[in-house]
Amino acid sequence: MPEIVVAVLGEIAWPFALVLAWLAGELGHRWLSLPRISSYGIVGFLLAAGQAGVLPEVRGGTMALLANVAFGLILFELGYRINLAWLRANPWLGVTSLVESGCTFYAVFAVAQVFSVPTVTALLLASLAMSTSPAAVLRVVNEARSSGQVTERTLHLSAFNCVLALLAFKAVVGYGVLASAGSVFQAVWSSLVVVLVSAGLGALFGVAVPGLLRRLGALARNGTVVFALAVLLLTALTVALKFSPLLAALAFGLVARHRRVVLSQVQRNFGALGDLLTVLLFVFVGASLDWRQALAGIELALAVVAVRLLAKTLATTLFARVSGISWRKGALTGLALMPLSAFAILLLEQTRHLQLDLLDQVAGVMAIALLLEIAGPLLTRWALVWAGEAQPKGEA
Amino acid sequence: MPLEPFKAAVALTMGVELELQLVNPTDFDLSSSSSDMLHLLARGRFPGDVKPEMTESMIEVSTDVHTRHDALLAQLRQMRDALVAAGDRLNVGLCGGGTHPFQRWFRQRIFAKPRFHELSELYGYLAKQFTVFGQHVHIGCGSADEGLYLLHALNRYLPHFIALSASSPFFQGVDTLFDSARLNSVFAFPLSGRAPFLLEWEAFERDYFAKMEKTGVVKSMKDFYWDIRPKPEYGTIELRVCDTPLTVERAAALACYLQALCRMLLERAEAPPAEDDYLVYNYNRFQACRFGLDGTLVHPKTNASLSLREDILATLQRLEPHADALASRAALDELRRAAGEGNHAGFLRRQHAEEGSVEGMVEAAVRRFRSDERTVS
Repeated sequence: MPEIVVAVLGEIAWPFALVLAWLAGELGHRWLSLPRISSYGIVGFLLAAGQAGVLPEVRGGTMALLANVAFGLILFELGYRINLAWLRANPWLGVTSLVESGCTFYAVFAVAQVFSVPTVTALLLASLAMSTSPAAVLRVVNEARSSGQVTERTLHLSAFNCVLALLAFKAVVGYGVLASAGSVFQAVWSSLVVVLVSAGLGALFGVAVPGLLRRLGALARNGTVVFALAVLLLTALTVALKFSPLLAALAFGLVARHRRVVLSQVQRNFGALGDLLTVLLFVFVGASLDWRQALAGIELALAVVAVRLLAKTLATTLFARVSGISWRKGALTGLALMPLSAFAILLLEQTRHLQLDLLDQVAGVMAIALLLEIAGPLLTRWALVWAGEAQPKGEA
Repeated sequence: MPLEPFKAAVALTMGVELELQLVNPTDFDLSSSSSDMLHLLARGRFPGDVKPEMTESMIEVSTDVHTRHDALLAQLRQMRDALVAAGDRLNVGLCGGGTHPFQRWFRQRIFAKPRFHELSELYGYLAKQFTVFGQHVHIGCGSADEGLYLLHALNRYLPHFIALSASSPFFQGVDTLFDSARLNSVFAFPLSGRAPFLLEWEAFERDYFAKMEKTGVVKSMKDFYWDIRPKPEYGTIELRVCDTPLTVERAAALACYLQALCRMLLERAEAPPAEDDYLVYNYNRFQACRFGLDGTLVHPKTNASLSLREDILATLQRLEPHADALASRAALDELRRAAGEGNHAGFLRRQHAEEGSVEGMVEAAVRRFRSDERTVS
């Protein structure tokens, strides 16, 4: 092939992948009732450097930033949907969250030890496994237009376990840095300070942006764009400072909600902008997976996925009745919490600069992400449908 | 199925049914949560009756049979507290209001129960558009004929109830300019409106119900969506024009207003109802829906034009001896205040203006439903 053609093909690789992913998403949704994001992930995975080789290596660069922004928008929306007063009115929800995260952490750590994964790596893996991909959960909920207890609890538990996972992860990173570099300062910096400053920045935005909007008095018209821009700025800022853009976006949404600027209906998913960035996010995440690495760690992955499912479902079922729902809905909530990935991958991206490269150290992570990337959203969808909370397809 | 016999009840007893909205406290849209709410409420002892309604975002509660205002209000408050507590545990907000101001009817999920699915199939989008919320008041009647007499004698007072209870100014996201937009939805049903003018139960059964049943259009009284309809199995007449108010205090007051009115009408001091009274019925009804307390009535007997607000205040005055006899003065005071300050539709419009959004309006309704309001003045 002449060089110019190769160059052009290289230039259009990403847009081409996005178009293909979108198409696959629509067709998969129509014919197989597959959540759109599962298809996006599959297309990204298939076209990735390690597989078909259509897409270039995804590490770093503009695409990573855009994916972070896409993820930030979703986390902002999730934060916005979290009602902290619910924890006060129903303390069992908090107990459920702590227990399901804790059990998952412990179970996954134990499994990793059985597979003789080094301690620090096993701890990082266990922290990651606590989290439910908020992006997957929120997209599936919005796609199915579901509402009810399984829906609400899945969203809340997902937000809580992400925060807990992040705290655990940063604590382990701090411990890891202390163990390897021996610097207390660096250890504290990479855990506590990063967490506090990220959350603080998010909270600051959460106060400032609604304040600005109120001052401008154009809430109903400009809310979406202003919040999207603020998320963009916040993400760029936290990435540049090597803080956590995820925690910041979540805190931003949470504080904005409790400042009571009500989003209107149109702004769910951030409209077309959110849809576009979601395609990008999930293709990006899929493309960061490599089948060789995935295959190498498949046994560990299957074991982790199994105990994770067990731990989460057990905890949500155990506390179902005391927290006011049926056993069945409790179990379905656990099932709906399965998706992992987008969150995990982006968390991993953040540790690269600390020379704690989990992706390369534990082959199992790849396989876990691959499994739950595609199957996770499907499980969430089924849980919502079985709970009778999804909008019937013909009427959606 | 032939019409069941009218079971005589103790005259002037009353019962209240309220259809309430279940909303999501994040975006204040309707939340399909009635199954979850009913599951949780079924575990404890609910101080009254609670059941599902057509769509998953509605829940209906009803009181026991009452004779006194204070007991009725006490039970309504207990039921409200139980609902609010359950809602808090499930992150579901509850509120009154005749319509949800911005819900999209096509998004509503029909509650899984055969009758609701049948209705949904028959009425199509009407069934979902029927996601509106009303208060129904039952008044016990000593006999079937007494019931039919009251049903028709009340025709001239019906707009009072519409105007006082009106709490549905917005529908599908826009200000309808009506105080009660809800009744426009009800009017879309083929068997809505007024009952045929028959004052004897036997005649009603033979000359109307049996004929209607033979046409195959109806099977039971349930198929009629009249403004007031007889409920033979309870021995009551049921007033159905009220929007669910934002507070249980207003709901109790409306029930006692009806009770006192019936007591007065049973003295038969007013000219008896006549078919011609209904000449102005739809016009008066429209005035009350559209303008609320600022509407104008045409008196069916004298054809005089009256201000709705003044007619209500005058009626409240006339009812005082009856309220004393029924121990419901506090109820009339509540309505007098409503006539002065304006109905809940006005409150909602003010909230909309202040908050700048329909969501803020629902939030205000949720807040107002939760707590007691002053009643005894």
